[in-house]
Amino acid sequence: MLYINNLTKNYGKFTAVDNLSLHVPEGDLFGFVGPNGAGKTTTIRIVCGLLKASGGTVQIGDTKAAVGSKEMKRMIGYVPDFFGVYDNLKVKEYMDMYGSMYGMLSSDIAKLTDDLLELVNLTDKKEFYVDTLSRGMKQRLCVARALLHNPKLLILDEPNSGLDPRARVEMKELLKNLHSMGKTIVISSHILSELSEMCDSIGIMNKGKLITAGRIENIMQQAAGGKKIHVRVASEMEPVVRMMKEEAGVVVDSVRENELIITHSGTEEAVCELIGRMIQNKVLLTGFYQEEGNLESLFMQLTGGKN
Amino acid sequence: MKIRLNPIVRKDLQVAARSMKLSWGVFLYDLVLVLTFLLAMAIIQSEVGSVYSRDNIYSYLVYLFPVLAIVQIGIVALIVPIITSSSISGEKERQTFDIMLTTCLSPLRIVWGKVLSGVLRILFYVVAGMPILAISFVVGGMSWANLFYYLVALTLFAIFSGSIGVMCSAMSRRSITAVIRSFVVYFVIYGLTFLPSLIRMIYGMDAGESFLFYLFNPGVFFEEFFMQIMTGQSLFDGNNISSSDVGFFTGLLSNGTLWMFISGACIILMTVVFLLVAAWMINPMHSYAGRKRRKKKKGTE
Ligand SMILES: Nc1ncnc2c1ncn2[C@@H]1O[C@H](COP(=O)(O)OP(=O)(O)OP(=O)(O)O)[C@@H](O)[C@H]1O
Ligand SMILES: [Mg+2]
Repeated sequence: MLYINNLTKNYGKFTAVDNLSLHVPEGDLFGFVGPNGAGKTTTIRIVCGLLKASGGTVQIGDTKAAVGSKEMKRMIGYVPDFFGVYDNLKVKEYMDMYGSMYGMLSSDIAKLTDDLLELVNLTDKKEFYVDTLSRGMKQRLCVARALLHNPKLLILDEPNSGLDPRARVEMKELLKNLHSMGKTIVISSHILSELSEMCDSIGIMNKGKLITAGRIENIMQQAAGGKKIHVRVASEMEPVVRMMKEEAGVVVDSVRENELIITHSGTEEAVCELIGRMIQNKVLLTGFYQEEGNLESLFMQLTGGKN
Repeated sequence: MKIRLNPIVRKDLQVAARSMKLSWGVFLYDLVLVLTFLLAMAIIQSEVGSVYSRDNIYSYLVYLFPVLAIVQIGIVALIVPIITSSSISGEKERQTFDIMLTTCLSPLRIVWGKVLSGVLRILFYVVAGMPILAISFVVGGMSWANLFYYLVALTLFAIFSGSIGVMCSAMSRRSITAVIRSFVVYFVIYGLTFLPSLIRMIYGMDAGESFLFYLFNPGVFFEEFFMQIMTGQSLFDGNNISSSDVGFFTGLLSNGTLWMFISGACIILMTVVFLLVAAWMINPMHSYAGRKRRKKKKGTE
C-alpha cells in the first residue's frame, strides 16, 4: 500500500531521515515508533507532501502519482501532531470547508459529516464552535476531517499526545474501529507498548534510520531473543545455581532467596529439557515462568545503544 | 447550477461576519466618509457664502466626488494589505495551514482565495459607503458610467493591494512582519516609480522616458482617472507637459485613455506576478517553503 524507498531528508549537513525504506501492507495498522527527534514527523510530512525529500520515493498503491500531487493528496488523510482550528466556525462548517477543499459537494459532505461525527462520537457537538471543543474532541474531529474524502491511507502523527487516559482509550477504540473497517492506518508514537496491542506491524526508528520493522509477533520474538526465565525453588538454592552455571546457553542474572532469574538463549525444547533435568536432580521446583517479550526494553536497547 | 465559491473565501467571510471586527470596520469606515462629506460641505458652504451670488453651489459640489472617492481609495489602500497580510501567516500562526496544504486546493487557489476574501470584505465597506458617495455623485452631476468605471478601478486596485499583502504573508511567519513587508513593497512601488523622473528633474534633464515608470504606479493611475473625469484632460497632455521634453514612447501615451489602459494592464500584470510569487512560496515542493520551516524551528527551540 505505502511504499517508501530510500527516503532521505537533509537539513543542511544534518540528516533527519537517512535512507529509509518501508512498506506498509494494505489494511494494516502500522505503528511508527521512535524517540524524540527520530524523524517520524519528517517522514510523515514528506509522505503528505508538506516537505520536499532530498532523495528517495514514496508510492501509494500502484499509482505512479508524485508526492504532493492532487492524486496523492486525495489518497491520504493526515492528522498532524499539532494543529489549530478556526475561531467562529461550527463543527459542521469546519467539515464542510475541508470537504469543499477536496471538491466535494455540500450535500454529500453534509451526509458524510453525520456519519463521521457519529463514528468519532461527536454527533452532539455538530452545532458547537470548534474552538470550544476540548483537546480530545478536536483530535477526534480532526480524524473525522481526515476521513472526509475517504482516503486510502490515514496517517496520524502522535494522536495521543496531550490526551488524558480516557481520551487515549477513546482514540484507541476509534482507531481499532477504523482498522476493522479495512482502512490502512499509520500512527506514530513515542511509546511502543501503546501501539503493541493494536498494531499489526511496527517500524522502530531512531536518528533518521529505520532500526527494525515487521509484524508485531516477529518483533516480539526478537524482543524475546534471550528468554528471561524466573525459576522458583523450595529446596536449597546453591546446587541449583551451580547446575545452572554448568548449563550451556544459560546465564544467571540474579539470585534471590528462593528465586533465580536466568537468561536462556536456547530453543523452547532446550528449556523443557532444562526443567526435566532440574526435576531429575531433585530440585523442588515451585515456579517456572518466562517473561513476555518486553517491547519497552527492546525499544530502549534498540534506540539507546548507538549513542 | 450552483456557483462553487472558493472554499477559503466562504470560510473567511463566514468567520469574518461573526466577528465584531466587521461591524466596527463598517462603522468606522462610514464614519470617516461621513465626516469627510460634512467637512467638505461645510467648506463649500462657507466658500459659496463668501463669494458673490454669481457663484453656483453646484459648481463646487462637483468636487465632492473626487474628494470622497480619494478618501475611499486611501482607506482601501491602507486596509486591504493589513487584512491580507495576516491571511496566510495567520493560518501559519494558528497552525491550520499544514492541513490546508494537504487538501486538494492548489497553492494558487489558496492564494487567490485569500486575496478574494480580503477584497470582498473591503467591498462590504465600499457598498456600505455607497449612499454617501452617491449623494456627492448625483449632486455633483457625474455620469453613471463614471461611477461604474470608478468601482471597477477600485476593485482592481483592491485586488492589487491584496496581492501584495498575500505575497508578503506567504513569505512571513508572523503577521506583523507581513504587514511591515507589505508597506515596504507599497513604498517601493509608490516611491521608487517617481525616482527616475525626480532625479532627472533635479539634474535639470528632460523627462525622457522616465514617466513610463508611472505606468506601474496606481496612485498616478487614479490621479489620471480623476483628472480625466473632472477636466476631460490628461496629466500627460501637451497642455500639462511639454511634449518636446518627453521621449518617444511617453509621447505616444499622451492620449490619456490609452495611458489608463496600459497603466491598468501594467498593474494587473504586477498583480499576477505577486500572486504567482505567493503561490510559489507556499508550495512545499519548492525549497523556499522548507527553508521557512527551518527558521521557525530554530526560533521556537
Ligand atoms: N526544519 C528543520 N530544520 C532543521 N532540522 C529539522 C527541521 N525539522 C526537523 N528537524 C530535525 O530533524 C530531526 C527529526 O525531527 P522530527 O520532527 O521528524 O522528529 P520526530 O521523530 O517527529 O520527533 P518527536 O517525537 O519529537 O515528534 C530532529 O533532530 C529535528 O531537530
Ligand atoms: Mg514528531
